[in-house]
Amino acid sequence: MGSLRVSAERETCVTSSLCVYRLPQVFDQDEEGRVVVLDDRPPDTLRDELRRARRGCPTRSIQVEGLPSEEGDTTP
Amino acid sequence: MSGDRCPVGYPLAWAPAPDIPEGWTTLREQPLLEITLPSGEPALLVTRYKDVRRLFADERLSRNTFGRASRVSASNDLFGDPRIDNDPPRYLTERAVVMRAFSARRIEALRVVVKEIVGQLLDEMAAGPQPVDLMEAFAYPLPILVICHMLGVPPQDRAKFRRLIDGFLSVSRLPEDEVEECRRQYWDYLTELIDAKRERPGDDLISELIEISREDPTKLTDYQLQHWVKTLLIAGYVTTASQLGTGMAVLLHRPEAAAELKADLSLVPSAVEELLRYQIMGTSLGTLRYAVEDIELLDGTTVIPKGSTVLLSQESNMDADEFENPLDLDIRRTENHHLTFGAGIHFCAGAALARMELQEATEGLLCRLPGLRLAVPGEELKRPEGGFLAGYTEIPVSW
Repeated sequence: MGSLRVSAERETCVTSSLCVYRLPQVFDQDEEGRVVVLDDRPPDTLRDELRRARRGCPTRSIQVEGLPSEEGDTTP
Repeated sequence: MSGDRCPVGYPLAWAPAPDIPEGWTTLREQPLLEITLPSGEPALLVTRYKDVRRLFADERLSRNTFGRASRVSASNDLFGDPRIDNDPPRYLTERAVVMRAFSARRIEALRVVVKEIVGQLLDEMAAGPQPVDLMEAFAYPLPILVICHMLGVPPQDRAKFRRLIDGFLSVSRLPEDEVEECRRQYWDYLTELIDAKRERPGDDLISELIEISREDPTKLTDYQLQHWVKTLLIAGYVTTASQLGTGMAVLLHRPEAAAELKADLSLVPSAVEELLRYQIMGTSLGTLRYAVEDIELLDGTTVIPKGSTVLLSQESNMDADEFENPLDLDIRRTENHHLTFGAGIHFCAGAALARMELQEATEGLLCRLPGLRLAVPGEELKRPEGGFLAGYTEIPVSW
């Protein structure tokens, strides 16, 4: 098991589906299309894709502990 | 902003070929550009990727532009409607109702339908004469058929539907009274269509929305329902058609990139993404916002004054601070957080649908017509005069 911890904010999710397409083994959607985390402790091999998923989320609704934050990742 | 600088006409000038004008990469030298909209009214264009990305998610830029922001064109407010609240919290309630139909699972269930439509259109194209206009033969029909299938528009209404939308979206091409007439007829047509669905519900999005609005009218009133259907039909059609056609023109203008893609179809998703970033069909007119407060940009000195009309630059997809070699079309690009679908709470509702259609269309064209090529030099492709989008009027192809 890796050192990464993934969480996602259902309330701010706008169903872009970007994370689900990028990492279907980590992210899914509920009946309403809102984000659901399937695997909150994904392997380290997914680091780059997790970084891209966090970066790409239109409402910054994805957090990844154990991954250095980049400029623009968390704001606004 | 210095007041003595002459405002730039918007949309900006294009390069003659299916290329990005060099000038777009230097736009960001000024973080905020005074521009003149097609209506002749003033606006401010935010040019830097980082500012644009942040401001897409900034609630101080209101989407309720009707009656207070500058107009895109003198005769057409486009999506402006004083009876619709496009800001949170109301907007989020309505959007949530609609977005359940656009989840990845629902979009993937549609992929088989899209594949079938792509196959039929390509069969017809292959059996017909050459050269043929890719827009008329393929790029326009595909998204109309898909969105009409999704919403439940009957096949016999699709030609009428297209004529009205084409007129409605014509920003400066048609005389004002004709645009207005198209807008009125389109709205009346939707009233009839929704009434028919109330009588006889089907397995489609309009029927689903009617059901939700019946269960809980506070989530979606009748008027809001009709407004969303109107917007989805327009948004699902013209943007996708334009991106599909111009994206293929950009690709076919670069035969080495087209050959690389044909040889390895696993690159189709990243190629579609890169063509979206590289999109030369669009302008930033659809990002129109109104500043309800003063907003400082990231340089710490430039301020968008309260009361300004603001466009968030799609040209920021060419910002070298964000994209390596931004003018190069790189179908293998992996760091590609382009802003073609926007960001924040107004992120394009149909983005996943559009991507899926573009992927199926691209793969279908390359496989079914492996010799596909532009029948005229790319430099000679014509752009429309006026109109909401800036694609090509005609894209003659042979194979």
